[in-house]
Amino acid sequence: MDLGLRDRTALVVGPDSVVGAACARALAAEGARVVKVLADDVDIVVAHADSRGRLSLSDVRSADDLHRSWDVVVDTVELFRSALPAMSGRGWGRFVWVGSAASRSLDAADDELDAITSLAMRATQKVIAVEAGPTGVTANAVLRGGEASPDDVAAAVVFLCSVGAGYITGVSIGVDGGVGASVF
Amino acid sequence: MDYGITDRVAIVSGGSRGIGRAIAESLLGEGAFVMLAARTQQALDDTAAALDATAPGRVAAVAADMTDPADVARVVDATRAGFGPVSIAVSNVIGHVIDSEREGDGPGAGHFASMPAQEYRREFQHLFVSAWALATACLPDMRAQRWGRICNIGSGVAREPATELPHVLPNVVRPAVAGMHRILAKQVAADGITVNNILTGSILTERNLSYWRWLAAETGSTFEQVTSGFHSRIPLRRQGQPAEMAALVTFLCSQQAAQITGQSIPVDGGLSRHL
Repeated sequence: MDLGLRDRTALVVGPDSVVGAACARALAAEGARVVKVLADDVDIVVAHADSRGRLSLSDVRSADDLHRSWDVVVDTVELFRSALPAMSGRGWGRFVWVGSAASRSLDAADDELDAITSLAMRATQKVIAVEAGPTGVTANAVLRGGEASPDDVAAAVVFLCSVGAGYITGVSIGVDGGVGASVF
Repeated sequence: MDYGITDRVAIVSGGSRGIGRAIAESLLGEGAFVMLAARTQQALDDTAAALDATAPGRVAAVAADMTDPADVARVVDATRAGFGPVSIAVSNVIGHVIDSEREGDGPGAGHFASMPAQEYRREFQHLFVSAWALATACLPDMRAQRWGRICNIGSGVAREPATELPHVLPNVVRPAVAGMHRILAKQVAADGITVNNILTGSILTERNLSYWRWLAAETGSTFEQVTSGFHSRIPLRRQGQPAEMAALVTFLCSQQAAQITGQSIPVDGGLSRHL
């Protein structure tokens, strides 16, 4: 399958994390130019919370603990907002957030804050999808859970970046081997 | 990306036109064998001939009513005999047309207050039993191979009823179909089989065009008024192409999508409002 990514420029946040590295590798394998710094030619931005610490709500001791988890939302919103104008100007762009499948089922006791921030990022993607849709920019989420490997996640990320996925926006796709409990 | 489904055997129902045809074409492009099933022999033969030109010897067709489990079994048997054990099953059956004079080729139009109860049974047969029958008939082959991909072409109304249209039947039956696929996904996951459901939005097919024409006549509007009013509510400001449905289905059938199962995934240009 030709995913139409040849010569597209992709920024992957945290390329040294396992998920970031897998996404960068998969995008590069499709001929995308993977960069580490945002510039006006970036067509694709992939972000994730892969390298953050794990935290349950009952372990939270201070507002600072909460903010450390929430920082990923602030950082990602800032990055996506910075990248959007150039994408909209060219009439093509892709934002993908890699979050937690527990944001649907809320059953990941050891990483509840990740599920909560993923909910916020899924809502962010929905808002971007509605606001930026008219300019041909899509925004979606891949939700990792179960036994899914970084490569499993990266395959879904790359698909959502593809030309063929151009009518998919504001969507969350679970990559979790079906372990979640929710119908939707 | 090599999707790793060369020589896999697929069945695509509703495969002669529109979304089904696009899916068949896409799977053939990945080197799969494809059996098309649909009701109308002539349309099937035309499509099979056209697709065979691009993938010689890899496509065949059987005329069948895929809402009838006996016909589904016949299609699966013919597929095994022609190509070998089935690995991929794509169910693509529309709701039943109650009155084609009144609703163009559109499915299941009608309001709750005026819809006879037996129509819910017929719609259930079309949308739920057809998908159940195809999946069930293919599962033995998939289990034996410890590899399978089941994909249902559902509708966005499974999650968000289209209450602005008189579509009570799909509004009621589609969520049940989504639930059935979710349960099936759990049951077969250990056998290496994935089960997913597409929440189809507005895709530009011939049938869709005729539906817009019917709706325009019904509401006393022009075709352009009906479609532009609808497009303005879609974030991407357009309808989707059948090939854009096929792109997702083909990815879900790939080796790489082995961990994606039990999902209901919208292809709707951002129309749905849920997270």
